[in-house]
Amino acid sequence: MSNQRQASSASQVPHLSPAELSYLYTSLSLPKTPIRPDGRSPTQFRPLTAETNILPGTNGSARIGFADGTQAIVGVKAEVEKTVLSNETLARNDGGAGHEHGDQEGSAAVGGHGSWVQMSIEIPGFRDDDALPVFLSEMMRESLVGAVGTDETSDMTGGLKGRLVINKRWHWRLYIDVLLLSQPLAYPLPLLSLTTHLALLSTKLPKLKSQGEEDPFFDDDWAVAEYLYPRPSLSSGGKKSARSSFVRPPVTLLVISVGDNIIFDPNREEIAVADAVLAISITRDSEAGNLKLLSIRTVDPPSRLTPPGVPNSENVSMLGAVAPTEDVAVLNPATGEEEVPGVWRPRRGGVKRSVIAEMVKTALKKGGVGEEVLEGLEGVEVS
Amino acid sequence: MPLDTSTTYPLTKLRLDGRRWNELRLIQAQISTNPASSGSSYLSMGNTSIMCSVHGPAEGRRGDASGTAGGAGAIVEVDVNVAGFAGVDRKRRAGGSDKQSSRIATTLRSAFQSHLHTYLYPHSTISIHVSVLSADGSLLAAAINACTLALVDAGIPMPGLLTSCTAGMSGSASTPRDPRNDELDPLLDLSLPEEQELPVLTVGTTTCVPVGENNMDEEEGEMKVAVLTMDSKLHCTYLDTMLAVGIDGCNQIRELLEGVIKGSSRA
Repeated sequence: MSNQRQASSASQVPHLSPAELSYLYTSLSLPKTPIRPDGRSPTQFRPLTAETNILPGTNGSARIGFADGTQAIVGVKAEVEKTVLSNETLARNDGGAGHEHGDQEGSAAVGGHGSWVQMSIEIPGFRDDDALPVFLSEMMRESLVGAVGTDETSDMTGGLKGRLVINKRWHWRLYIDVLLLSQPLAYPLPLLSLTTHLALLSTKLPKLKSQGEEDPFFDDDWAVAEYLYPRPSLSSGGKKSARSSFVRPPVTLLVISVGDNIIFDPNREEIAVADAVLAISITRDSEAGNLKLLSIRTVDPPSRLTPPGVPNSENVSMLGAVAPTEDVAVLNPATGEEEVPGVWRPRRGGVKRSVIAEMVKTALKKGGVGEEVLEGLEGVEVS
Repeated sequence: MPLDTSTTYPLTKLRLDGRRWNELRLIQAQISTNPASSGSSYLSMGNTSIMCSVHGPAEGRRGDASGTAGGAGAIVEVDVNVAGFAGVDRKRRAGGSDKQSSRIATTLRSAFQSHLHTYLYPHSTISIHVSVLSADGSLLAAAINACTLALVDAGIPMPGLLTSCTAGMSGSASTPRDPRNDELDPLLDLSLPEEQELPVLTVGTTTCVPVGENNMDEEEGEMKVAVLTMDSKLHCTYLDTMLAVGIDGCNQIRELLEGVIKGSSRA
């Protein structure tokens, strides 16, 4: 029962009293300068340790541990699979002798297919068909396959899906297995997303030796294997390699709003008082090199499950002890609800459009949070 | 397979990975790897690598049927998860558990339930979570060793380190052993390809706590077999050889693990 409630909401709701919730909310919603319980700035992430290529048996792997002890390990495995073509595509290929290539081609054979990327998340205490793992994996997978490169010259056309195409009859199938090693202390999305990003960056596929439409045949020398996401080569600073190096796996950031403030990478206590919880997926635009938005998902904020506080004016045991001037109701700037200051009321729906726009802007702007995160992950040595 | 152990071993006396019959694979271990748990460990034997974390002893979950049964001592819960990327081919089983991992979990649970001093923690639960990151033979043995390390890290009292190892024979060993013409060698610490073609046995031993006056002056503690499982077919005349080799391997592993535990406390 308790598991079900956890799964339906953003995370386990910590056992905080209405007074504590109100205190947290007030300090987090201070105009311009929110005070977070752990003293971070609104855009600061928790410190983390990361390493890649920890599992020799996988195509790519990574481990990230947050300072609070939650760790995740991601292993990426790739398999060659035969592309199932529809009958009409086959017929056209046989009869058309290849002159009708291009846009008429079976779109799956060229552009790749989203189902070629499979993702599963293992969280201790949850079955793998529970709501939370399924929701998280689908949320991360959709931004992964949705990231489509627009650069026609690079071999990352069509994003990850396009990269998985070997030729018209064969493709790679990518299995991304995420292992959370401890009970989630906070909503595990940022941890899982960062680890997956890192694992994909370190993923290598064997070098293809066969050409064109032959059955695929690979170089068995792992040293010449190619990165799934090509990395900028240090020796040739050529224009082309620099351009294609911009295609990067997406990162999903967890952002909350409290009042008018926007807070990144919230911990469990901060999520508990959030007005809105958003998962924002961003990636690098392959053309311009700046960031672009891939998807936004709202996550059910757990604050609506918290117990409300009772204002003194309505508290029977406080009758007569209250000065009449104290219960001045004010309007909450975020939700427009009537509130007594210092008394916790669960947040009910509604976040202003300007707040959402501000969230996206903070994540995407040059030198903003998204850029910082992507650069930080890029800096992790991939040997 | 042209390169299998049963055909090349008699000629070279070297196994597939170049080891001799009595050599262990490289063992690397670490404790306190995960600060979010009471105790945790990482252990790799060759290409088999396992992470283990222990939570507890803690109050059991409310509404649990086993809550009343734990009156006499702590209940050990084991959860084994073989990662999808652990093997050579990626495997994902439906429903979240398969036969292999639930067998390992059952063996671990019964081994540690009787091994630990659970009577010190009535009405509580010790939950062990084992994640297999890469599987290359001797899974059960590696899991037992990793659990022992994690339980030591969690500070749960036990009479001695429970260590485990696999032993096999270098041939099918289906006929009675001929003492004059003994051409089969016992093998220690089998890897996955060996495990698949040869008879294999997993043995786990622990040291006895010296009890009584007479045992106190003994230098070497008595060895006690705590776990013994075997799935394959073998003629019984070979069993004592394999057991002897396995127990010897357990002793070697115990020394290694003791080194890990002592080394980490110094640091």
